[in-house]
Amino acid sequence: MNASDTTSRRWLWTGLILTGLFVIVPLLLSLAGRSYFYQIANTIMIFALLAASMHLVTGVAGLLQLGHAAFYGIGGYGAALLATHFKLSFAATIPLAGLMAALIAFLVAVPTMRLVSIYFAVATLGIGQMLHVITLNWVAVTKGPNGILLFGGMKLFDIDFSKPVPAYYLVAVIVAACVYVIHRLSHSYYGNALRALREDDQCADAMGINTPRLKLESFTVSGFFAGVAGALWAHTAGYISPADFNFNVSILILSMVVLGGLGSLPGSILGAIILIGLPEVLREFKAGDFRNIIIGVVLFGVILFQPRGLIGEVSALDFIRNQFGLGRKARSDGKQMRVGWL
Amino acid sequence: MDYYLQQLVIGLSLGMVYALVAIGFTLIFGVLNVVNFAHGEIYTIGAFAGLLLFVSFAPPLVVVLLVVLAVGALTGVGLERFAFKPFRRFNDEATLKSRAMREATLMSSLALSIVAREGIELVFGSQFQSLPLQHMLNSPIKIGPVTIVDGDLIIFGTSFLMLAGLQFVLKHTSVGLSIRAVSNNALGARYVGIDTDRTIAWTFAVGSGMGAVAGILVGLYYGAIFPAMGFTPGIKAFVAMVMGGLSSIPGAVICALIIGISEALSSIFVSSVWQDLVAYAFLIITLIFFPRGIFGGARERV
Repeated sequence: MNASDTTSRRWLWTGLILTGLFVIVPLLLSLAGRSYFYQIANTIMIFALLAASMHLVTGVAGLLQLGHAAFYGIGGYGAALLATHFKLSFAATIPLAGLMAALIAFLVAVPTMRLVSIYFAVATLGIGQMLHVITLNWVAVTKGPNGILLFGGMKLFDIDFSKPVPAYYLVAVIVAACVYVIHRLSHSYYGNALRALREDDQCADAMGINTPRLKLESFTVSGFFAGVAGALWAHTAGYISPADFNFNVSILILSMVVLGGLGSLPGSILGAIILIGLPEVLREFKAGDFRNIIIGVVLFGVILFQPRGLIGEVSALDFIRNQFGLGRKARSDGKQMRVGWL
Repeated sequence: MDYYLQQLVIGLSLGMVYALVAIGFTLIFGVLNVVNFAHGEIYTIGAFAGLLLFVSFAPPLVVVLLVVLAVGALTGVGLERFAFKPFRRFNDEATLKSRAMREATLMSSLALSIVAREGIELVFGSQFQSLPLQHMLNSPIKIGPVTIVDGDLIIFGTSFLMLAGLQFVLKHTSVGLSIRAVSNNALGARYVGIDTDRTIAWTFAVGSGMGAVAGILVGLYYGAIFPAMGFTPGIKAFVAMVMGGLSSIPGAVICALIIGISEALSSIFVSSVWQDLVAYAFLIITLIFFPRGIFGGARERV
């Protein structure tokens, strides 16, 4: 395949995705004609952005993040408080909420960046829990478990963005732009440096890559996008409470990234579509109660049977195989040795 | 002053419970070098097993504790079989200690813990379970100026017994010897003929049994048994393990007591809703300033 083929294929895919996002899905939604479906579509897009932002830090840079919901929550609360207390226009609150989340992510990252693997994971878990306890109990500012209501006011250029269709387009445009930025970040020399970090941080360090700085940057950028997602959620849902941003949400986002495949951006987005969409489809069969169980089972099954995820670029276990040349070797009885069940 | 003493007693019994949970973490980390994220759910399962037993047969407390110990041990072995063993196909040292292995088992145990918690929630509902009042361990006992409840004494007694029992198992039985051998050097233990898979299963049995007993003790002490109860103690026990230097059991116990007492004493100064922050703050401070634990136990890169 020559270069122009690749380019034209890339344009074809981009065109298809954009048409799908901006023409076909809204058309289908307007045919279905229920605002509930718009809400689901918005949720899927917001979680796609969350999964994409976690993909940058967990999939590409290889830092296991167990507190992503905290930055999502900072974005959500930041946007809600800026809109209700300071009466800022919603258009201003979205980037500001992202910046707030990025700032907190930066402050969190500075001391924890020298930790590796599970210690980093647990540090992020601890920080996520701290922020959750704070939003739950700092009643004077966050109104505690009651949450914050946002009243309309989503007007810009005489368009009322609290109506379903403009809200859909607003979320779609912002999410598409953010995902494009993440795509360019992770498929560049910069992204390759992050991948080197993921494969072996000591080796990357030895080759002259400034690993703490890269970790810091990717963590901050990921925090920014999570904050934007939080702001979008606050504005489209119109109500936020600490329960929207607890540990289960962090795990849900992690499951999306693992299900789609670590290191693959389309995979993360596909994971978001499946894990938000599937329970909605199953709702028809009265399976709403099983939502979290399904997430647990899916996560477990994927790790065990398909550690590469649906379209992943690395798998935890392939990594071992390549590293030590063990897995693919035929045993003496002619059977292939496999990792996983038996 | 009396109030301080009272808080100290509460803190000690809280710390003892964290210690029981932390020992399970520490044992498992010692032999496998992985974090068992489902350990908190073992604690919940212990509490629910005890609750079911009380409601259906109302046996004496000793019997309940023994049965819960057995249930916890069995659950631990099952957990090991499903969430850890499938990832342990290769037996060279590099694989056993690799990062990929740890993260895969971390996520598989996390996934199973979600399934367990949500499963319990489907069956029992997410609210607090009502416990027959006569089984709760909160009849007051006056010792000098301090009023404690019998639950404090029972938690102390049981924990001391279990710690002594653990010490006996580890130091004076062949299972304990092989557990210590595997946690010292898994590959070396295998070379001298120790069945490592079996030893790992035993480790899960011992650690999970203690975690399950901690669950029912807390359930009876506070009268609060609900599906998500294992999450916070699990994290706090993990903090104790990290503070104690990862594979040191005395370190984990001492740090668990420190956490318990600081939490109880913190409620003197701030509202008790903030006391969870104490453990998280300990975690962050330890990870940043003493990544090898405050007693300097860990031998590897953190």
